[in-house]
Amino acid sequence: MRLSTANTFDASIATLQRRQQSLQTAQQQLTSGKKVTQASDDPTGAARAERALVSIGRADANQRALEASRNGMTLSEAALGDANEMLQQIRETLVAAGNASYSDAERAGLANKVAGLRDQMFAIANRPDGAGGYLFAGQGSDGAPFLDQAGGVAFSGMSGSIQTGNVDSFPLTVDGGQAWEQARSGNGTFATGPLPNAVSGSPPKGWIDAGRVTNPALLTGNPYQVQISGSAPTQTYAITDSVTGSSTSGSYKSGQSIQFEGMAMTISNQPVDGDQFEVLPSTNSLKVFDVLDKVVAELRTTGRGGAEITQSNVSRLRDIDAVMGGLQNIRSQVGERLNNLDGSESRLAALKQYSQAEKSAAEDLDMVQGISDFQNQQTGYDTALKTYAMVQRMSLFQYLNV
Amino acid sequence: MSGLLSLGIRAMFANQAALQAIGQNIANANTPGYSRQQVVLTTPDGQYTGAGFFGKGVDVQTVERSHNAFLTKEAYSAKSTAYMDMTQAEQLSRLEKIFPPGEEGLGYAAGQFLNAMVDVTTRPADPSARQVVLGRASELAARFANAGGQMVDLQAGIVSDLRANVSIVNQLSAQIATANDAVARSNGSGHSPNDLLDQRDRLISQLSQYIQVTTLPAGDGTVGVFIGGGQRLVLGAQAQQLAVSQDPYDGSRATLSITESNGNRALDDSVLNGGSITALLRYQNTDLQDARNYLGQMASAMAIRVNEQQALGLDLSDPAGKGGPIFGIGATRSLPAATNARNPDGSFTSLVSVSVTNASLLQASAYKLRADPSGVPGAYQLTRLSDGLTRSVADGDSVDGFKIDFTSSAPGVGDSFMIEPVAHAAVDMKRVLDKATGIAAASPITASASVNNKGTATVDSLYAVNRALDTAKAPMTISFGALDPGDATRRLYTITMADGSPALSGSWKSGQPIGNEPGAALPVDLGFELKLNGVPQDGDSVTVNATQFPASNNGNAKAFLNIQTDSFVGRRVQADGSIARGATINDAYASAMSEIGSRVQGATYLSGVSTSVASESETLRAGQAGVNIDEEAARLMQYQQGYQASAKVLQVAQTLFDELLRLTGG
Repeated sequence: MRLSTANTFDASIATLQRRQQSLQTAQQQLTSGKKVTQASDDPTGAARAERALVSIGRADANQRALEASRNGMTLSEAALGDANEMLQQIRETLVAAGNASYSDAERAGLANKVAGLRDQMFAIANRPDGAGGYLFAGQGSDGAPFLDQAGGVAFSGMSGSIQTGNVDSFPLTVDGGQAWEQARSGNGTFATGPLPNAVSGSPPKGWIDAGRVTNPALLTGNPYQVQISGSAPTQTYAITDSVTGSSTSGSYKSGQSIQFEGMAMTISNQPVDGDQFEVLPSTNSLKVFDVLDKVVAELRTTGRGGAEITQSNVSRLRDIDAVMGGLQNIRSQVGERLNNLDGSESRLAALKQYSQAEKSAAEDLDMVQGISDFQNQQTGYDTALKTYAMVQRMSLFQYLNV
Repeated sequence: MSGLLSLGIRAMFANQAALQAIGQNIANANTPGYSRQQVVLTTPDGQYTGAGFFGKGVDVQTVERSHNAFLTKEAYSAKSTAYMDMTQAEQLSRLEKIFPPGEEGLGYAAGQFLNAMVDVTTRPADPSARQVVLGRASELAARFANAGGQMVDLQAGIVSDLRANVSIVNQLSAQIATANDAVARSNGSGHSPNDLLDQRDRLISQLSQYIQVTTLPAGDGTVGVFIGGGQRLVLGAQAQQLAVSQDPYDGSRATLSITESNGNRALDDSVLNGGSITALLRYQNTDLQDARNYLGQMASAMAIRVNEQQALGLDLSDPAGKGGPIFGIGATRSLPAATNARNPDGSFTSLVSVSVTNASLLQASAYKLRADPSGVPGAYQLTRLSDGLTRSVADGDSVDGFKIDFTSSAPGVGDSFMIEPVAHAAVDMKRVLDKATGIAAASPITASASVNNKGTATVDSLYAVNRALDTAKAPMTISFGALDPGDATRRLYTITMADGSPALSGSWKSGQPIGNEPGAALPVDLGFELKLNGVPQDGDSVTVNATQFPASNNGNAKAFLNIQTDSFVGRRVQADGSIARGATINDAYASAMSEIGSRVQGATYLSGVSTSVASESETLRAGQAGVNIDEEAARLMQYQQGYQASAKVLQVAQTLFDELLRLTGG
């Protein structure tokens, strides 16, 4: 076959250009480290990398949400720890107030101490989260969630908790209502308390303890009244079910427990004829600040009898234990959430790492392969140039001596 | 003696002629389109003598060019295909730049916008988090608008390329006509006008770069040049003009037409073959339209979805109000054909208005609306151009997420409209919300689980999902009852409302939202979705209240986060009425990107193949017609020697003559 000289040159130049182009592509890939810089390099790979990128973005955003949640939960945990410490101090103070040799003035002094601690507790309940919100705001509040009001402190926020995060949900706040206002009253099943004497109207001369459950199967959940009749040593007690109106009675001996409907309680000291006590079912309504306000008010009350003081101390200690339990319960929930956050964080990190690996696999260049390809191209181009120089230089005219 | 002398002279002349042709060949070795020439030598009839026939030397009959009509045709036809594929690959790779992968892409910007909402969810009232959302929203809108704007530029570029190409084609065809004329005039000489023919072949070859032609030789030496299945471009000395005119629907698009005595005749791209003009037209009518529609579909679906969610939440103004739209997009378009019936004042008799009813059903396509050929009054045919699906529609019908309304009067039988629900959405996309407080992060309702609940259920999320939400019904209490007797994994619940509306009941299943099940056996359509974590027990209750503190509520912001995983782009109503899943915004972008990418890949591959076919055809043609310098060198020697030998013959004749003179004179 004949070859046209001009066409041979054109074809060789075109081949050289192609070689040069692929050498340049290989070089670009090597310098950028990417084998996919535009979709046409590998459409499926580009789409895969795109999805992985979305996943990385989501993981990053979720990580930010997680940090915010961790911040809120850590602060809440600390606040609940502080509150617990103060409640302990208040409890100790109240135990000290039971000292029979204390005068009203001394008890008033203790009341002042409790009042101071109570104000600190109030500040804790309204502790801000450092970002314009409040730790115990629940699902939001208009300003500080707890307000001193005429009827006592009230939670003005929305109960519940704000959640954040786009992959998982992370809590940002603690339900202030649940933490501070919804402790179980009494001993958890029923709450005992004194009533004015049926005859004289004065506080009872005996005191009732918090009681305990002896047989859960027999519990009715009804309110009761216990009344002492007669004078020592031949006293009787009568228990009236306020719902059914049925009544049982027995002989009373100071310090000996009274048992009925699966419950047992002890009325101590020397109750007199007509002394009454109530037994109410427990509700989730015990408020920390109500208890503290009561403690302060009762300690400041002057002219109380011994039984009344003891009754007050016993009941308030019971209440403080209950609210402490409530706060402790929330604190352990918060701690558990912090644990969960750690778990979520490592899951997120794993997800992100997986996505990064996926993205890299889809679009990054295998360097070994890349260098090998580049050298291959280089050798090819080198050879092409050499053969071009050798072949295209040859001409019959060189051999003619005309 | 005189015989030998004349023999020598003729031989010298013949060799000189051959050398001249070789010189011409060497001179034109690098001239494009030049065909190798050679002199045709013949031996004249011998002279009869008593001693037999004596040769009378050599004749130069003519100069012929080395040419093969088949190979020439093959070469320019292959070249035509190569130019078409090359142009298509070039244009597509420009389009590909609009859909970049990774952090420069639209998908990334959409993701960033929604991810910024996470920080608003975390700090609903934080102005800086809200400002970031607005910034990301501008970025997203700007990327859409920018991509749309680039497509407008690409379209303008195509029209100007087409105009330039067509003007070259017109010049070339005029030159071919002139060459035809010159060839015809030299037809009578009996010799072929080699250089003129070469020039004409070269013109036809150049023309093939722009549009594929077929040629038909005529008896007078001229060739007819035809395009697009027999459309005459050059016949003899007459050339027709091509023209670029406006698309009857969309003035920014171009169509190709040919000028005839009775006006312009449109040439559809389907009848054209090869060359850059065909590639440009096809690219304009398919690839660019597809890309515009993909982009517009994403812009419409995203913007409307975000705006709808925004309208379902409460913003930070005082008192908190419904969120205003975040994005503005380009309007839907319905373009009447230029030929539609007109009023005496020149305006169109009937117009069609198009409004989006459900953005998630919008398809990446344009539509053509015309009267039903059956002639039933009020019946129209709507053809989806992406797949050719034709449906019957009437005034006020909704199809694929948009509604058609005839304004003024109904279109007549001859009228047609191009409907573009999404094509212009992206180019005019912008952020329209300016105040950071305008982001509706709060849900209008808040749910709280009762303190007395025994189960583990807590509120995961609660937000409005559609306009059915009525806060006058709040507080709504959801009380859980016994296990569903039909399915032990479900628990029955009852919703009682404060405004005294009849209580609704349903059956809850883990992971399934409460409040928005219009399709359930017991329909509940309250316009919100409440998701629970954990499991409720018998007697548990959750109360849904109107939101009291919008500044710290993040319910609607959480709903925004769900947009990222919601497959709301391009849902389709199937034949049985069910709705096929769409794609998430990121998947939609990834698939548009890889679609364009694979088209570029295909076009590049095709271009490589057809370029190498073209270069092989050219090698074959050049092998036949081109000049090989070595060959010419050899021939140069050959004829030089012939010339020297001829001169020697003369010298011998001279010597003989001198000898004779000496003998006679001596």
